[in-house]
Amino acid sequence: MTSYHAQRRASLIARYVLLALLAALWLFPIVWIVLASFSYNDTGFVSTIWPKQFTLSNYTGIFTSTQFPFVYWIRNTLFVSLVSMVLSTFVTISVAYALSRLRFRFRKPYLQIALVLGMFPGFMSMIALYYILKSFNMLNLGGLILVYVGGAGLGFYIAKGFFDTIPRSIDEAAEIDGASRWQVFLHIGLPMSKPIIVYTALTAFIAPWTDFIFSGIILSSSGNAKTYTIAYGLYNMVHATKGTSTTYFTWFIAGCVVIAVPITILFIIMQKFYVNGITAGADKG
Amino acid sequence: MKLWQKIALGSTALLSATVLAACGSSSSSSSSTDSSKVTGTVKLWADTTQVSYYKKIVKNFNKKYPDVTVKVTQSPNGSANAKTDVGKDPAKAADVFEVPNDQLGSMADQGYINPLSPAATKQVKANNVAVSVKGVTWKNKLYAFPFAEQAQTVYYNKSKLSAEDVKDWDTLTSKGVLATDFTNAYNFYPVFLSAGTYLYGKDGETLTGTNVNSAAGVAAMTWLAQQKQNKNVMQTSNALNQLKSGNAAATLDGPWNAANIKKILGDDFAVAPYPTVTINGKKVQLQAFQGIEAFAVNSHTATKNQKAAATLAEFITNKQSQLIVYNESGQIPVDKSAQKSDAVASDPVAQAVMTMGKPGYSTLMPMMPQMATFWNLSAPLINGAYTGSIKAADYAAKLDTFAAAISKKN
Amino acid sequence: MFKKKSNLPPAATYKEVWQKGDLSFKLSFFFMGLAQLKRRQWAQGISLLGLELAFIGWLSFSGVSALGMLSNLGANKTKRVVFDNAQGVYLTKLPDNSVVILLFGVLAVILVLAMIGLYIASLRSLRTLYVQVRDGEHVATNREQLRSLLDSRLHLTLMVIPIIGVMAFTVLPTLYMISMAFTNYDSKHPIGFSWTGFKAFGNVLTGDLAGTFFPVLGWTLVWAVCATVTTFFFGVLLAMLIESKGITHKGLWRTLFVIVYAVPQFVSLLMMAQFLDLQGPLNTLLMNWGWISHPINFIGASANATVARITVIVVNMWIGIPVSMLTSTAIIQNLPQDQIEAARMDGANPFQVFRHITFPQILFVMAPALIQQFIGNINNFNVIFLLTGGYPMNNNYNGAGDTDLLVTWLYNLVFGQTQRYNASAVLGILIFIISATVSLLAYRRTNAFKEG
Repeated sequence: MTSYHAQRRASLIARYVLLALLAALWLFPIVWIVLASFSYNDTGFVSTIWPKQFTLSNYTGIFTSTQFPFVYWIRNTLFVSLVSMVLSTFVTISVAYALSRLRFRFRKPYLQIALVLGMFPGFMSMIALYYILKSFNMLNLGGLILVYVGGAGLGFYIAKGFFDTIPRSIDEAAEIDGASRWQVFLHIGLPMSKPIIVYTALTAFIAPWTDFIFSGIILSSSGNAKTYTIAYGLYNMVHATKGTSTTYFTWFIAGCVVIAVPITILFIIMQKFYVNGITAGADKG
Repeated sequence: MKLWQKIALGSTALLSATVLAACGSSSSSSSSTDSSKVTGTVKLWADTTQVSYYKKIVKNFNKKYPDVTVKVTQSPNGSANAKTDVGKDPAKAADVFEVPNDQLGSMADQGYINPLSPAATKQVKANNVAVSVKGVTWKNKLYAFPFAEQAQTVYYNKSKLSAEDVKDWDTLTSKGVLATDFTNAYNFYPVFLSAGTYLYGKDGETLTGTNVNSAAGVAAMTWLAQQKQNKNVMQTSNALNQLKSGNAAATLDGPWNAANIKKILGDDFAVAPYPTVTINGKKVQLQAFQGIEAFAVNSHTATKNQKAAATLAEFITNKQSQLIVYNESGQIPVDKSAQKSDAVASDPVAQAVMTMGKPGYSTLMPMMPQMATFWNLSAPLINGAYTGSIKAADYAAKLDTFAAAISKKN
Repeated sequence: MFKKKSNLPPAATYKEVWQKGDLSFKLSFFFMGLAQLKRRQWAQGISLLGLELAFIGWLSFSGVSALGMLSNLGANKTKRVVFDNAQGVYLTKLPDNSVVILLFGVLAVILVLAMIGLYIASLRSLRTLYVQVRDGEHVATNREQLRSLLDSRLHLTLMVIPIIGVMAFTVLPTLYMISMAFTNYDSKHPIGFSWTGFKAFGNVLTGDLAGTFFPVLGWTLVWAVCATVTTFFFGVLLAMLIESKGITHKGLWRTLFVIVYAVPQFVSLLMMAQFLDLQGPLNTLLMNWGWISHPINFIGASANATVARITVIVVNMWIGIPVSMLTSTAIIQNLPQDQIEAARMDGANPFQVFRHITFPQILFVMAPALIQQFIGNINNFNVIFLLTGGYPMNNNYNGAGDTDLLVTWLYNLVFGQTQRYNASAVLGILIFIISATVSLLAYRRTNAFKEG
């Protein structure tokens, strides 16, 4: 009996050690990124784990720079992501609900077309999107929102999977009681889908903070750094001019850490909903 | 801050003198000096970090041409990507933008930019050094206003290497470590030119003029392969960091990084033209690519603004403006008298770059539309020779394919 | 529950509507909505008639010319440089802008098709209305029709805005991209280009890009398989480790791993590239510890192809395992325990339980998600673009490197200096064909697997 206990104890310790090792391995580069953001550097290259010289100047630099209006970037991105979050969630949830709970003529074709569209890489489309927005004179944050929201009608998979798991009998009972489908949607569908709404909203909120290519294509034509979003602004900072990657590299890291912190926190909050959505969707296929 | 103002003031006087002289000699042509007649609205692209001082230059411009409204904005991806940035939507691109000269030929052929007027051509030719004029000439027409020349030089640590040491590659790399990047064709394609081959002919405009698939080309490949054996030649993606840590004593870099290197090396900072190298037993000057930075005028600019755009491009590349740019960012002027000014004459970096501009030290980057393919294919070739992934026996065959691929009419 | 409209024989043919309907029905064949207006179905009538008038207006003002120019993408293909004496400058007379012509041509085609669809729908509702009138049934009032938008036709209300969005911002650009593959839009014809049929396909499949296309395709598939399998397999293992008996603070452990995935990729991957550099922190550290004597060139431009490929797969595991760990955790928590208990009773060791029960069950549930992930990995732009930029260089390729996927190569062709737009559109189509084939085969197999 004691040997059995000892064996279990050893196994538990071994598993804890393994887990701790893995976690350390996983977090090591992240810790390094944070450390690097505090390092004094004038070569555009961080070659050590522990900074040779600590400084806060990267952070003060990025917040006070006139060349790189970091605060404007944050403000713009916040604006885009909040508006796009509200509208995209509305669109995604509507589509997912309709496709999951209602039956209509173009339901199957829509599902098939959505599947097909998802398999084309988006880069060529970006040129077309640029010209579409240009013809509406919307090469600005508004245009960016429009495109994000426009794409939301295709991002319904996880939410649809979630709705699929809610038993249909609930709707039917309500309809027999004389409720219209809109009332069912409003008073039964939506309240039950709180987790998936949170998940959809957070996904939509995070997207603009990480999109550095498309936002660049749309916003760069203004030539005014104050109209950029954060991802393009930061990316542009180290890629635009010869020599700037050297000068501003640590500022870039500091800027990255500043936006990575809130997004990471949001994501950690979201992970529960993420798991629920994914598994509910996977069950149904 | 104070310095540039002095220079600006001093050079305005000089400038007006040259302008007066220029129009005196060319009174027949429709000259650009009647400032009151130039009107319009013009958008100017500058690189992100250069916007601030181009705003100053534009202020000077507006003193002379008050009826032209200029909007200075930053270019999407920097002047190095001028062609693709303009190509995305020429109608929305700036009316005047900076472009490195190797993209000029293709942009001219594609119809993105307008040639210079005869009057402006005359002016540019009169004021700027010959190599810069040649650098913006495509099919016998000038396509942009040159304002700076670029060539890589040797930057080294004085405390570890002497001026004598850096005159020859072999001595340099026997006495100290040289950190450089063999994956960058801009750094090492000129080895082929040093070996005596031509890229697109002597004039850089002949499609079939590349003769790198020859004994000389193979010799250059061999030289590249030898560098892998040399412990004092260090392959790195960030030479500056190696200079700072003291692992390296020298590097090859351009004037755009001079200020950063100065900061790193402090009092030990020194600069010199490229050394000589021994290729195939013969000592030859190691060449660099000579690049000319220039401002071009968008062909999509509305007709009524064309004159204003051309005038702006001419003004922001005149001597006064070149000196402001030099002061702010260390880009080496190409205006003849600006090169002789005290500030430039006493600047070792400028002197080294200007030496590299002399014949024999460098080759002007060709302007062929095929240059895009050239850059794509030459880097893997050089890297292959350096790392040894291309075996010596295959050099000739590889060079044949390379030469054929970059000489296609497409 | 739902009316099976399609199975019922139509109560009236269109011919009957045309012959026996009153004037408003006859006119409705030309001016949609008139019959509805006559029966005071204001909302439906006005919107149908309004849309038709708007369409006709658009067609006559710009639609016809947009469609007409689609045939040759603009007649003027050459530029001319002329000297403007008045201003004393050269001007360029530019060719017609084919990009815009093509885009608005495609838009015009979509609008015409949408109108045809609307017309058919209006005929259908016209017929219903006719039958109601003929048989003396109740004709829906305007108010009832509007209310049905929140009930029996709620799908219309919910889907109309999303569909317009998808049409404008996904369908139109995708069709535009597809048509681009059949033109000569490249650096030689950047402004005015023409239709050239399958020539661009020829360039990619047999021409100067073929020597790059097939090896890159091969690596893309290898990458997609390895990336999907490794993240899935190790994600399951990690989830089981965290879920195993005795481990406390499970949520905290999971969060530690999830942090890596939560950091925006353009931060974590760009920094990872530096972390793994020849002279980067990792090599410095390993050298200081004395584990290696020479720095390892993991992902540099002159790295060894195999080393770099393994490195990107490993880095992808770093980012991907936390996600698949999260997913499998939820599945593991919901797995039926009876089988596992039964197997344990029969004396199966933990490994056998995992091998024969747990893993197949997870695989079964995850199969569709895995296929999606596989497609996602074929198009996994971020990991390659940000981490290696396609490097190491390969002197046998044209404009691509050893770790370039089709999608990153496509990006280079569009946004790089070579400006081969048509070739990149061809690549886009080929990527679609590959993804579609793979998922079709995979879905077939998993369905068979599920049923069998």
